[in-house]
Amino acid sequence: MDFLQRTLDGLLEAGPYALVGLGLTLGFGMLRRVNLAYGAGAMLGAYLGSWLHVRMGWPALAVLPCVVLAAALAGPYVQWLCFHDTDRSTGTPQRASMTVSGADTREVVALASSFAVWMQLEQLCVNLLPRHLNPFPDFASNSEWALGPLGLRPDRLFMCALAVLLVLWMTRWMQRSRTGLALRAVADHPLAAHLSGLQVPGLQRLGFVLACGLSGVAACAVLALEGQVTPMFGMWMLMKGLAAAVIGGLGHLRGVLLGAALLGAVEAHAQNLLGPLGRDAATWGLLLLALLWRARPTLANRSGGLHA
Amino acid sequence: MRDALCATEPGIGLVIQMVMLSLVALSAWLVLRVGRISLGQQAYFGLGAYTAALLTTVSGWSLGEALLAATVCGAACALLLSWPLLRLPGLQYAVATLAVAELVRLGLSGWRYQVPQPNGSMAGPDGVHGFRDIRWLFDHQVGQTDYMVLALLALACVVMALLLLARTRLGLAMQVVGHDELLADSQGLPVLRIRLLATTLAGAVAAFAGGLYAHQLTYLEPAIFDPMLGIHAVGYSMLGGLATPVGPLLGAAFDLGLLEATRLFEGWRMVLFGTLVAVFLRWRPRGLLDETLLQRAAELWRGARARLLLSSPASGQA
Repeated sequence: MDFLQRTLDGLLEAGPYALVGLGLTLGFGMLRRVNLAYGAGAMLGAYLGSWLHVRMGWPALAVLPCVVLAAALAGPYVQWLCFHDTDRSTGTPQRASMTVSGADTREVVALASSFAVWMQLEQLCVNLLPRHLNPFPDFASNSEWALGPLGLRPDRLFMCALAVLLVLWMTRWMQRSRTGLALRAVADHPLAAHLSGLQVPGLQRLGFVLACGLSGVAACAVLALEGQVTPMFGMWMLMKGLAAAVIGGLGHLRGVLLGAALLGAVEAHAQNLLGPLGRDAATWGLLLLALLWRARPTLANRSGGLHA
Repeated sequence: MRDALCATEPGIGLVIQMVMLSLVALSAWLVLRVGRISLGQQAYFGLGAYTAALLTTVSGWSLGEALLAATVCGAACALLLSWPLLRLPGLQYAVATLAVAELVRLGLSGWRYQVPQPNGSMAGPDGVHGFRDIRWLFDHQVGQTDYMVLALLALACVVMALLLLARTRLGLAMQVVGHDELLADSQGLPVLRIRLLATTLAGAVAAFAGGLYAHQLTYLEPAIFDPMLGIHAVGYSMLGGLATPVGPLLGAAFDLGLLEATRLFEGWRMVLFGTLVAVFLRWRPRGLLDETLLQRAAELWRGARARLLLSSPASGQA
């Protein structure tokens, strides 16, 4: 029964992970670059929210849209600084940059500079609010529903439902709407999209801002249950989001749900067996295994692009 | 690493720290040189530090032997870990190195191995509390100044070795692999093996730096090997330039020497450093000392020498 309870707790933890991973996987699908400043952008939004909440005394419900807005606004900044070379519509990003300095080099540079932006944004947050624990509008409830012998936190359940709904809605939007179709076309083959008359740079920007806005939504949802934000939050978001997104197959929207569920369950059991260190180790170990598993030659050709 | 990076003492401590960070940056540079980015060089730094510290405190080896063993250990670990990882494409490789480094750090955090010493105290790694009392330098009365000279000599040797390597056929092959993998492959270069060699060397350099660092600091905490160390190493290389091993040294000297030592930008150092790296990479993706700049400098130098050679016989005739 303990086993079941732990699995259930782990699965409920998957809600936040799926939310965090969704934005990351969308951003990757659009630009084919992992945005390492992803967590830091959301953290900037969260710190701004905390600052508005504590110092300015804004009500909780007014703070949340500001968090999302700030996180979304961090998107164009990060893209301009780190991913400016992906919107060359004269060819696929890979081909166009290959002539400049090798295909991998651009990727390396984008990773390094988004890492630098991460540090920059994180330090900005700490300078904004130097304390370690900063209050955030709290929506957590302490009630617990009994499901036979199992306990169930309603607020966590709500979060899971939110994550599932958001992922499914995003998937549907990607598949059905014209904008979604355009975004998928740009993600799949920028040159072909450009030749069909799509505004590739604009659509890439839209997709990236959307991804960063989603990171703000995820930050709101996670922090509203925690009731506080610490300087570790950026790292936490990136780590969990990356793990969930990679396990689900980077660029695969519905896969994020599966990845998050697996991550949550494995972490819950690892924590029980090995303590908090084991929990972190499980995250990284699972991420590593997923990377190696996805790199099998049979799968290598199918990577990239945005799938619903 | 934030503690270790920011809690610098002035003078000798700062110099030794700069040498360590330069060595880690060189190790990141070696990986960048073959067209991959490793965010996990701190793993080998940590492994080297623990190996060297264990050997001098518990096994009673001398510092030289311990450093050698740490270097070999770092190289071996890097070889073993790179074997599966290098098959991943660039982006996945970077994330995988970060994952491995974090696993190593968590492993070291969970490792308790205490051995009673002759004087009654316990030595060895103690989980999250780290590894205390690495007293080889005190016991053998090696002064800080001597140690600084040793560290500087070691750094000079590594840089010289890398400069010499760059002039060989192997060094050129590494550069081609880093520049364009496809081109290198079509010319018949063994891309995977060249990358393996570069990452192995990188692991050795990082582990050597770790061994040196452990004995200067006299205690180790697993928190020292957190991702920030690896990020700084990559940042220094990218800021300084990828074309020559002097690049990473320049980057480290700039960050530690100018931003940290002067304490002009207290609290804003990370903001400034991050901005600088990002802005720099935006317009100069291969850093300050890139191939174009080196080429121009070489041409200028050759031109000046030719003019000097031309003018000297003329003046002799007059």
